Amino acid sequence: MPFPLGRPLGVADDPAFQRDVLRSALKLLESATEPTIVDYPNEAPDANGEGVWACAIELPTPEMSELESAVRSEIDLLMPRYQEARRSRGRSTFGMSGATIDQVDKVVSFAIAVAEGSGFEDVPSAASGPNWRHAMPILVRFVVEDLRALYQEAVTSDASSRPPSQREMHTWIFQETALGQLLKQIAQQITDHDDPRLRLMRGFIIPEGFWDGDRAFGGVPAGMSPDDYVRSIRPYLIGEQS
Amino acid sequence: MVRLDDLHPEEAAGMRAAVSRFGYIDQEATPWITPPPLSESTICLVTSAALHRRDDVPFRFGDSGYRLIPDDIDPNDLVQSQVSVNFDRTHYQRDMNVVLPIDRLHELRYAGEIGGVSALHFSVQGASPDASTFEAAAADMANRMKELGVDAALLVPV
Repeated sequence: MPFPLGRPLGVADDPAFQRDVLRSALKLLESATEPTIVDYPNEAPDANGEGVWACAIELPTPEMSELESAVRSEIDLLMPRYQEARRSRGRSTFGMSGATIDQVDKVVSFAIAVAEGSGFEDVPSAASGPNWRHAMPILVRFVVEDLRALYQEAVTSDASSRPPSQREMHTWIFQETALGQLLKQIAQQITDHDDPRLRLMRGFIIPEGFWDGDRAFGGVPAGMSPDDYVRSIRPYLIGEQS
Repeated sequence: MVRLDDLHPEEAAGMRAAVSRFGYIDQEATPWITPPPLSESTICLVTSAALHRRDDVPFRFGDSGYRLIPDDIDPNDLVQSQVSVNFDRTHYQRDMNVVLPIDRLHELRYAGEIGGVSALHFSVQGASPDASTFEAAAADMANRMKELGVDAALLVPV
């Protein structure tokens, strides 16, 4: 299936195309007589996109010196569209961190504290309240994802418009929003942190191509395989090892 | 799956390197089973999108377990704890069928194209560097599928 990573059924809100993908896969059960690989022959309907996606909600140009108020202002502007999307879809993917949408102010407080240097060992004191569902430091990743979910669901709330590609979404977030500046500041805190094991998490926050430095994931120590490296630092990232 | 040309060059290079380290299935030693006709088969989904119910234990980084997703799940009860930022969530956020096509399976069942839909589906977290870590979960899932009367599982890779 030649679709973008993360979209195995092609596109949202296109039941006919999704059914065709399913049928094509399931029919192999009736035709194959041994393990078989067959390419799906069709491109997703939006493969080439029409025009350039642009956010329909005008946000003010963020100032680094007022990052927290800029992020909170953006969220105030986006919240009606987020709520509209939630109502029309009957769902939201916000909440991976454990916070509820009513606790979004604590999610922002968490991210701002980390961006300003509260560290990666303990949950920032300003962010107490939500039932955080991951341990530090990997919790930072899911706090970030909740903020992204709010932004993404808000700006794709109009069911009649083409949703952006992942690259268009990354470009908008990192080049046009205060949230993007906040994420880059968190990534800088990771970069400046004494413990190099944290660098892997930078690649969970900044996509490749959007970090102005070496690879977003950082490097692998000389003489170590990537798999062994990831395996060795996993207990630290999920909070099982200090 | 996605074409390597569509990925960022750094990401594509990482994928190529990872694929070169994968082991390959020994097809000669793999049992082949001919399932019942599709119109009589009960199908379940196995997604690698790290989806789970909101109150489930979230997938942790490197988690090689699985979570159960009821066929009648309230879509708002579905969340995703995959750590990768490099895959497209925008379409999934709009329509869960992009990664978990439960509604589409039911449409095929109503049309008589498949025999039934499992009462439970399965979710794992993909992107593991070592597929062998999933062996225990895979064996357990297979047993559960037998109990559920599943004839075929559709792996939906994310």
